[in-house]
Amino acid sequence: MHFELNYQQTWLHLLHPVLKFIIVLVLFIAILFIHNPTILLYLLIGFGVLYIGWTGHSLKLISLLSIPFFIIFVSSATSMMFFGEGNTTWYQFGLIHITEESFYRGLHLGFRGILFGLLGLLFALTTRPVLLFYSSMQSLKLNPKYAYAFMAAINLLPIMVSEFQNLRNALKVRGVTYDRGVKGFYQRIQRFSIPLLAQSIRRAHRTAIAMEAKQFSNDRTYYYQVSYSLKDLYFITLIVTIIVFSIWLSTIYPVFPVDNVRMD
Amino acid sequence: MLEIEKLRVIFPDRKNFIFKDLSLSIPSGQKVLIVGPSGSGKSTLLQILAGLIPSVIEVPLKADRLQVDSNYGMVFQDPDSQFCMPYVDEEIAFVLENRQVPSREMKEKIQRILARVDLQLEDIHTPINQLSGGMKQRLAIACALALQPDVLFLDEPTALLDAEGTKQVWDTIKSIQDEQTIVIIEHKIEFVSDIVDRVIMLDDQGELVADGSPTRVFQDHKQMFDQFGIWHPSSWSDYLVSRTPQHKGNDRTAHTLIELDSASGYYHKNREILVDKAVINKGDWIAITGPNGSGKSTLVQMIMQLINTKGSIHYFFAEQNLPIYQKIAFVFQNPELQFVTNSVYQELAFSLTSKDTDKKAKIKEHLKRYRLEQVNDHHPYQLSVGQKRRLSVATATIKVDDIIILDEPTFGQDAINTFMMLDCLEELRQKGITIVMVTHDQQIVDHFATKEWKIDQGQLVEEKYHDLFQSEKVGVSSHAL
Amino acid sequence: MRKGLTRTDILVTIMIALIFSVIYKIWGPLYNVLSVFGLHIDQLIYGMWFMAATVAFLIIRKPGVALLAELAAAQGEFLFGGQWGVSLLLYGFVQGIGCEVVFAIFKYKSYHLLTVCLAAVGATIGSLVLDIFYGYIDQLALWNLTLLIVARLIGAILITGVFAFYIVKALEKTGVTKLIRPLSSKDYQSLEKETG
Repeated sequence: MHFELNYQQTWLHLLHPVLKFIIVLVLFIAILFIHNPTILLYLLIGFGVLYIGWTGHSLKLISLLSIPFFIIFVSSATSMMFFGEGNTTWYQFGLIHITEESFYRGLHLGFRGILFGLLGLLFALTTRPVLLFYSSMQSLKLNPKYAYAFMAAINLLPIMVSEFQNLRNALKVRGVTYDRGVKGFYQRIQRFSIPLLAQSIRRAHRTAIAMEAKQFSNDRTYYYQVSYSLKDLYFITLIVTIIVFSIWLSTIYPVFPVDNVRMD
Repeated sequence: MLEIEKLRVIFPDRKNFIFKDLSLSIPSGQKVLIVGPSGSGKSTLLQILAGLIPSVIEVPLKADRLQVDSNYGMVFQDPDSQFCMPYVDEEIAFVLENRQVPSREMKEKIQRILARVDLQLEDIHTPINQLSGGMKQRLAIACALALQPDVLFLDEPTALLDAEGTKQVWDTIKSIQDEQTIVIIEHKIEFVSDIVDRVIMLDDQGELVADGSPTRVFQDHKQMFDQFGIWHPSSWSDYLVSRTPQHKGNDRTAHTLIELDSASGYYHKNREILVDKAVINKGDWIAITGPNGSGKSTLVQMIMQLINTKGSIHYFFAEQNLPIYQKIAFVFQNPELQFVTNSVYQELAFSLTSKDTDKKAKIKEHLKRYRLEQVNDHHPYQLSVGQKRRLSVATATIKVDDIIILDEPTFGQDAINTFMMLDCLEELRQKGITIVMVTHDQQIVDHFATKEWKIDQGQLVEEKYHDLFQSEKVGVSSHAL
Repeated sequence: MRKGLTRTDILVTIMIALIFSVIYKIWGPLYNVLSVFGLHIDQLIYGMWFMAATVAFLIIRKPGVALLAELAAAQGEFLFGGQWGVSLLLYGFVQGIGCEVVFAIFKYKSYHLLTVCLAAVGATIGSLVLDIFYGYIDQLALWNLTLLIVARLIGAILITGVFAFYIVKALEKTGVTKLIRPLSSKDYQSLEKETG
């Protein structure tokens, strides 16, 4: 697993991490209160452009990471489309009951699923965890013991990943076999989880002791001083513009015939 | 001044005291080496002297007097689990932050500290995982120095390093020492003896059995060093004298087991190792040597067919319907990963198939051969380091008897375990089992190997026969890169 | 004896949680593939997302561990680009609370299989409450909603409850849990004995 991917730093990387996080959080809550699929579609286009153009990662990685979006869309949408409640029946076969209302509600859920995934990636691809935790300690007064534990644990993960590969080889060499089906799946997880958990607990324990030996203290100064800049203002303006524009467009060009997918 | 009086420590679920009424005092500025067999509680003692026990690690403890110095720095054994940040500068900054050094002074201080431990980096913002083991340990020393400690504790800082890294680390420690007290635990005393002015020896009961100047202790208790498995400058020569010399010539008429021809191994899509031509014959002891990251482990994984390969590798042994990686006995660097059951006995039984006859006798024989009878119902994870290593070899050899491949089996082992392992392997070789071993240890190469394969930058560059003491350059042309 | 979470406890908890966040991240696509079939087959594996909480609690056995583990696992999944984005943090929170409440009812002293299964139920309830806002699940046909709830409950009890319980049991045999569990007064009493 590569935690240090090659990328071009863009202005999105230079935003204040906590502020960026809060904006994403507010967007998330705001989107929960949008019940009009047309608005979501326009938002999706707006943030999609930002995601494709300005995360600074290669188009190859971006397209690779986008593959799940399609599955998210289908999976979020189908249940509601086929089994949701509604009055205007389009199709019925056995348990499947597609109504106009449930169809658009499903579509809406699909858009929303993609949008959340996209916003999450937009944040994850442009934020170094270390800076996020430094700025959380400074702006949100996050207790350093949680912040540093998190950074230390992230640091230990690549070792776990290479250990996982060694373990896979070791189990092959020992001739470990698995049953078929669910039972085999259980055996597999058990074979892998016990050694990996044991190793990582020990390693985390050792690291924790090493951190104490470095006289870990909650009263501290900070190597990285995270501050706000004009870019943060631009970012907020851009986000507000995308939202306002999407709502406005939805009134002029309503792509879908419904403007509220919830039933009262 | 560090002082303990009548210290008692007992680990939960254990019958015996780790320490029973131990007293010890270390005056300021003294440089002390603590030695003892594994299980003698050396690390525990160090952690008590630092105050980590009981404030951070909860262990039942009582003492009439316990004077520790809270202004200390400590370097631990494992280079991969003592850093909490991803970059060199960030890790030292973590220490400076703890000391509340103003952030504007940090960059300059980091540079100064790195210069002190002779860690020259183009950019201080270098990922720690790109450093070699020796460099990581020097970074750990840098972090300890950043604390401006009165006492420096070193808990086997070179146990997991190769010869070069070990030397770098001790050179650094020599160069940085001044007024501060230094307390060292070390298994390899060769480099330490001229740093310290006092040696304390603990036995396996945690009793203090010797205490004095290095020369005195080395002279008077030499036999105990051997008994405890501590590496000293004459460990190897003493061992080689004691053992019956075995003929280790290369029998060129022996039949070939594995033949490599323009074979290359791949991780993802990158070629990591290339071998133009090489053979493994019956009765060989092949030592695979080379710098860190040169592709030694990759080479054995290629032979095991655990990674993607191109070119040809022919195997000329027992026709069974099994994948190659199950026809060759293989011992991983971390033995724990190979354990799949809950007891030593079951672990051996797991290696046998239903076709094997006389399972019980076979297991019993192996338990005996590898000195695991006493612990046959223990969980593999609860064994000592040496026992784990022996068990991993036992599980491999009980199943296959043509060829065994080992990835640095003596790494981080004390002298007793190393020699016991080598005796076992030589015994196997006498029985006709072929041994292939990745190793950093020149002594093993010189005294056990019949052939040495030198690996450099992902290629087998030289094959050295050790009976004739002549070097035969392997014909790998440079354009092959 | 020490109460409350030490910094070591926190690091070990977060380490365990992050391993789970890697698993959670892989679980996402698997879950998606199953959901394409409809009929809530996917819900049977939903319980995996509560597992960090029960496993971490069973290992460390202290108040706050279940919630911290579940939150940290969610935060980790989010940082690794988990497909549900920020919503993960809210789910992590309610699921963690669901487990934590159950363990608290037993005063953090019960580590039985039944307790762990109840914690799984707690986490399920937490996740369902959030689903009403997030997934409009109240607007599914009643039979379908029932199916969803039952499937998720069964999966959670099996994975978060039974499975987590036996994983930690096996882990205990390796001796690694001794490193981090709090000591009892009995352990201190043995200091006074004369032999040994």
